[in-house]
Amino acid sequence: MRSRGTALALVLVVAAVVAQTTVFGADGVRPFGSAPNLVLLLVVVCARWLDPEPALFLGFTAGLLVDLLGSAPLGIWAMCLTVVAYLTLRVREHVADGPFVVAVGILGLTLVGQLLFVVLGTLFGLQTISDPQLPRKLVLPALYNVALAAPAFWLGAKVLRPHQRTWVGT
Amino acid sequence: MLSHGRRFDRTTALFLSLLAVAFIAATFDVRSDGGGVGGVMRDGAQLLFAPVQRAVGLVAAPFVGFVDGVSNLAGLRAENERLRREVARLEAQVRETEALERRVAELEAISGLEPPQELAAVTARIFASGASDFDQIRFLDKGKADGILPGAAVIDEHGLVGRVDRVTEHNARVRLITDPLVSVGVRVQPSNETGVVTGRGGDVLRLEMFQATEPVYEGDVVVTDGSRYPPGILVGYVTETADVVVGFVLRTSVEPAADLAEVDFVKVVVGWSPLDAGLVDGEEGVEPPPFVEPPAADR
Repeated sequence: MRSRGTALALVLVVAAVVAQTTVFGADGVRPFGSAPNLVLLLVVVCARWLDPEPALFLGFTAGLLVDLLGSAPLGIWAMCLTVVAYLTLRVREHVADGPFVVAVGILGLTLVGQLLFVVLGTLFGLQTISDPQLPRKLVLPALYNVALAAPAFWLGAKVLRPHQRTWVGT
Repeated sequence: MLSHGRRFDRTTALFLSLLAVAFIAATFDVRSDGGGVGGVMRDGAQLLFAPVQRAVGLVAAPFVGFVDGVSNLAGLRAENERLRREVARLEAQVRETEALERRVAELEAISGLEPPQELAAVTARIFASGASDFDQIRFLDKGKADGILPGAAVIDEHGLVGRVDRVTEHNARVRLITDPLVSVGVRVQPSNETGVVTGRGGDVLRLEMFQATEPVYEGDVVVTDGSRYPPGILVGYVTETADVVVGFVLRTSVEPAADLAEVDFVKVVVGWSPLDAGLVDGEEGVEPPPFVEPPAADR
């Protein structure tokens, strides 16, 4: 059951990577010129349900995939999404699920993950901090992720913990 | 569960180990300049994901088009007005260009010059982009098998889009001119002075001219200088007038001519390399403007 959950989470993350690079890619659905950070959202959702070690490995693997299909040096997004998975693990033990908590959590974790990328990207020579559109690139994906949190958590609950009741699904 | 004893320690230890692995990987990848093991892994990932991305792109195209159409409805009126103004401007430009073309043809005939030939190019479709808003890359459905090589210039009907930086047998990755890691040697028209245009991550480029002797004006045309890309490709238009200040680099911004947010099909120039322009081991193919000795008082 445990390995099945991890495998399903991996499938979800791979699907998110494909959707991110196509449906929400440069020529895809991008309201106001930006798209949700689906991969980060799915890492949070999966880390909500998985055991700690698989959750960390999933964050690392998801980040590595984003690095492989992106232009950042290999490992930058892996660091960011591993941190996001770890923070989710820490938070989930202390806070009960609820619409407000989930919204604030997703907003905060998306901002932290992307801010970390900006800092690491700058340290590794990507000059991300000098991007004039930085505020938009940080804020809009975080807001979109909040908007998508309910369906994503519903999906996570269905796929990873089918018998546990939450505020968004059964 | 995390905050109790061994479980907490194991999780934190694993977290720190993964961070260390990622950090080492990033360091090695930067040092190998995207080649080495990282390069092989990238090519492998692209090979695996490309068919899925193409299929998903095709299936999702109607949905994406619908959402795009709905979200653009509000802006259609303003867009219509802008296009009317653009058409009027272009019509005036065409009339001027026709007159100039006649003069150029006459001059070529007088001096016995051969007009420049059309560059050989491969048309390719963009089927995917990078996985985050910070990625300034696109993936093309053509690769080595079609004659595309790393470093090739990528253009659309408006101007320079970027350059190819990775190629597999049937796919290629393009780094857009808006990427901070991409620099393009340019000439500013009409002064014909050279400079370097660099991406800034957003939709505006930075122009730096190290030996400028004349100011640049808003609306000046910026074209490639032929050092790394074929000469004369439109890069963009200067958006802010900038004066020459002796002893300082002239800096201003340039709006790309290519509509990088909407580009779907591109052409990859395959019939030209820097060697064609005589660029060998850093030697410039186009003669640089003469160095202007600064006045003694300014040294």
